[in-house]
Amino acid sequence: MDINTKKAKKNAFRISKERGITASRVRVPGGKCTADVLEQVAAIAKKYGNGSVHLTTRQGFEIEGISLDNMAEVNQMLQPIIEELGINQAEKGTGYASSGTRNVSACIGNRVCPFGNYNTAAFAKRIEEAIFPNDLHFKIALTGCANDCIKARMHDFGIIGMTVPQYDPNRCVSCGACVKGCDQLSVNALRKENFKIVRNEEKCVGCGVCVTKCPTRAWTRSEKKYYRLTIMGRTGKKNPRLGEDFLIWTDEDTIIKVILNTYRFVEKYIDPTAPGGKEHIGYIIDRVGFQEYKKWALDGVELLPETIVKDNIYWSGIHYR
Amino acid sequence: MGRLLNEKAADALMERLQEQYDVFAPRLFPGTGCYSDTDVVRYGQISSLSEIVWDKKSEYSFKETLLPISDTVFYFTEDEVKVPDAPRKRRLIFLRSCELCALKRLDGIYLKNGFADSYYERIREQADFVWMCCEESFASCFCASMGTNRPEQYEAFARFTDGKLYLEAEKGLLKELLEECGQDGFGEEASLNAVYPEENQEKIEIPESLPEDMASHELWKEYAGRCIGCGRCNFVCPTCTCFTMQDIFYKDNPKAGERRRVWASCQVDGYSDIAGGISFRKNQGERMRFKVLHKISDFKKRFGYTMCVGCGRCEDVCPEYISYLACIRKVNQAAKEARTNEQK
Amino acid sequence: MSRNEYIPFLSRIQKVIRHTKIEYTFRMTYKGEVKPGQFFEVSIPKYGEAPISVSGIGEDYVDLTIRKVGVVTNEIFENQEGQSLYMRGPYGNGFDPADYRGKELIVVAGGTGVSPVKGIIDYFGNHPEEVKALHVIAGFKSPKDILFREDIARWENQMELIVTVDASDEPGYRTGLVTKYIPDLQVSDIKSAAGIVVGPPVMMKFAAAELLKKGMSEEQIWISQERKMCCGLGKCGHCRMGSTYICLDGPVFNYTAGKALID
Repeated sequence: MDINTKKAKKNAFRISKERGITASRVRVPGGKCTADVLEQVAAIAKKYGNGSVHLTTRQGFEIEGISLDNMAEVNQMLQPIIEELGINQAEKGTGYASSGTRNVSACIGNRVCPFGNYNTAAFAKRIEEAIFPNDLHFKIALTGCANDCIKARMHDFGIIGMTVPQYDPNRCVSCGACVKGCDQLSVNALRKENFKIVRNEEKCVGCGVCVTKCPTRAWTRSEKKYYRLTIMGRTGKKNPRLGEDFLIWTDEDTIIKVILNTYRFVEKYIDPTAPGGKEHIGYIIDRVGFQEYKKWALDGVELLPETIVKDNIYWSGIHYR
Repeated sequence: MGRLLNEKAADALMERLQEQYDVFAPRLFPGTGCYSDTDVVRYGQISSLSEIVWDKKSEYSFKETLLPISDTVFYFTEDEVKVPDAPRKRRLIFLRSCELCALKRLDGIYLKNGFADSYYERIREQADFVWMCCEESFASCFCASMGTNRPEQYEAFARFTDGKLYLEAEKGLLKELLEECGQDGFGEEASLNAVYPEENQEKIEIPESLPEDMASHELWKEYAGRCIGCGRCNFVCPTCTCFTMQDIFYKDNPKAGERRRVWASCQVDGYSDIAGGISFRKNQGERMRFKVLHKISDFKKRFGYTMCVGCGRCEDVCPEYISYLACIRKVNQAAKEARTNEQK
Repeated sequence: MSRNEYIPFLSRIQKVIRHTKIEYTFRMTYKGEVKPGQFFEVSIPKYGEAPISVSGIGEDYVDLTIRKVGVVTNEIFENQEGQSLYMRGPYGNGFDPADYRGKELIVVAGGTGVSPVKGIIDYFGNHPEEVKALHVIAGFKSPKDILFREDIARWENQMELIVTVDASDEPGYRTGLVTKYIPDLQVSDIKSAAGIVVGPPVMMKFAAAELLKKGMSEEQIWISQERKMCCGLGKCGHCRMGSTYICLDGPVFNYTAGKALID
């Protein structure tokens, strides 16, 4: 058997521990797919795999037990999935291009979840279109609200949905549901004064609990959707850590620009001698310094006037070396 | 005889209407729902008749056009109180049959239960109403069961069919303005009937009489664990009228302020609290009983007609999926059982 | 256009009688028809309104006995003789002396429940010829909670008066709940007597039960209810019990109706 493993890996096939056997990795941007996609995944698993499919943490399918001989046939069968999911592809029928940049994952968001502040899958798709395929090692996740069910803070870029609660005192009946909700479920940023509600703007995390709790539509969401962009969270051997806030009250366009700028930054500063040409962005920033990164990240970016930009970021986490 | 108006004709009428009226109707408030990217249909002032939402039931009822959610009773300074002026313009309010019937309930409380309420009265006297005919019943409506599927009386009605607005007025300003539109060649003369749903998918029987121990019946207990006391059922109801008084002072001038009355809910904590830490109906089951029995029985004992108008808004809005209809069915069952036991 | 019933009038405080640390009677200037047991909405703009029952009636005044238990009443207590408070009312039905005239009258009251009946006790205390006999049992928590001490001193000579406290560290006080003293009341003809019971809900229930045990029928007993009220005008809804509005139909009820009221 003569297989170019580098090529196979680039084509989203895994070199598995069992000789001659691979697994096909099907990434689903934003974790949203149709039942048709599921059926097609099932068909591949039955025809070329061993009938078993693993659900990956990054919201993909890993179709197990495929013979390395069948990669071309599997790629043919993947084509309708790729088309349905709208995956960037150089040439039809050639399967997925795997990449250092991992699937953009997302919680279910406001399509279903009452707390979700935006359509996470749609934004994930937008990011996917802007950055794929790409060899650089980036992990991006989107979560609908500050609950962060997708664990966006463990990613290089964590995108957390926010809303600026809009208050109409004329519709407020002082029932206190928002104050109670904010205290019990969020950060206790609301208080009653003179029978109306005062929001501590500095404390408010824009989760929108007050809006969901309000029985009279005194609280509503801002027309504009806002995001908190956290950066450089990671898992791994050396220094696992949570991402820290970089931009608060920012918008989609800015986030996409910052991510694209970060690719340029990495291209410039990546260690050319790194094993396999891979160096994680977080470690690059650790090496180069946040201020230099920030200069690159915000290059040509026009921030919203309401956006808070962190002057400096100090990450913590556990240091194993 | 009435007029059938296309959009242009409707605009011409609206222009005339707005000289005389502030026009209120159920309209869309995009993106203002509880959840992200959800809309709300509720009453608001409109500037075009095309803003009227016909194909959905408004989440909140028309009552806020007569009874503002938060209403200033008077302003005070150190030594005087001043009542705010009444709205300057008359109000033209488009509303459904259930709501026209609810108007009678609001009148019952605000004009007849003891003194007439001058705040309600002054808006009420300045208001004209247009019945919005329901071409079809909505999912949770049970107006036919409540006898509120057609109004007892109306001065004008409107229909929306095939993209055209039909308006007919028996008398009053609207009739004059419609005639003016006719003279100026806007719209076509037509004669459509007022229509209303003969029946709804939901049917309900309200018990004629309730057993004496209805208030202590087992069935209320389940709501103690289910209801979260948010008050949405009251706030959307066209017949709920409770309010609470609030005195506020201005931060920039603490010697001045205002006394307001603000919608209240019998389901929300604090509704029955009196000084000294005493409160009645601490349990949500008791509050549910207090509300439901008022809607189907207690009000009727006082006024002679049932309070509930079968609009189903409370059914639609409850975040805990507590069905008012299911509750009435249980009450009805309990009443039947009590009658059977009596006969034995 | 109907009169705006929500607009209060200013009334001068003629006198402040301090009963306890937290219970004062404010003698408010008022000329007009008013019955004991009726109530006024007393307010201080900025702080709000509170329904306060009439505890005494004079030529040009009404007494309002106020317990300092909330935002509004705290603020009312800041006011002195000569200053003014806003009021509107009187509201509610009140006690009608005609219901008790010519009868032997038993009044059982507890705590601040003494206020709404004080007017009726005063009335028959001053017009003893209008009742066959007058028995009053007034209960308070402890000696320091006793209200209307001056009036009580006067009443001692005007009627059969039992003042009791739940418990006392000081000697010289009767102790025990008001219900303890009902069985021993010497009533000449219980069947033609009348009873008034006012106090906290539980106390009213047990005191009425004692009177019934003594041979009274429900028709012979009156009670007064206290509920949350924001308007006093049958609008705000807070005081409703079933089909009854305490502010319009009450707060005084014959027990036949009053006992059927469910919160």
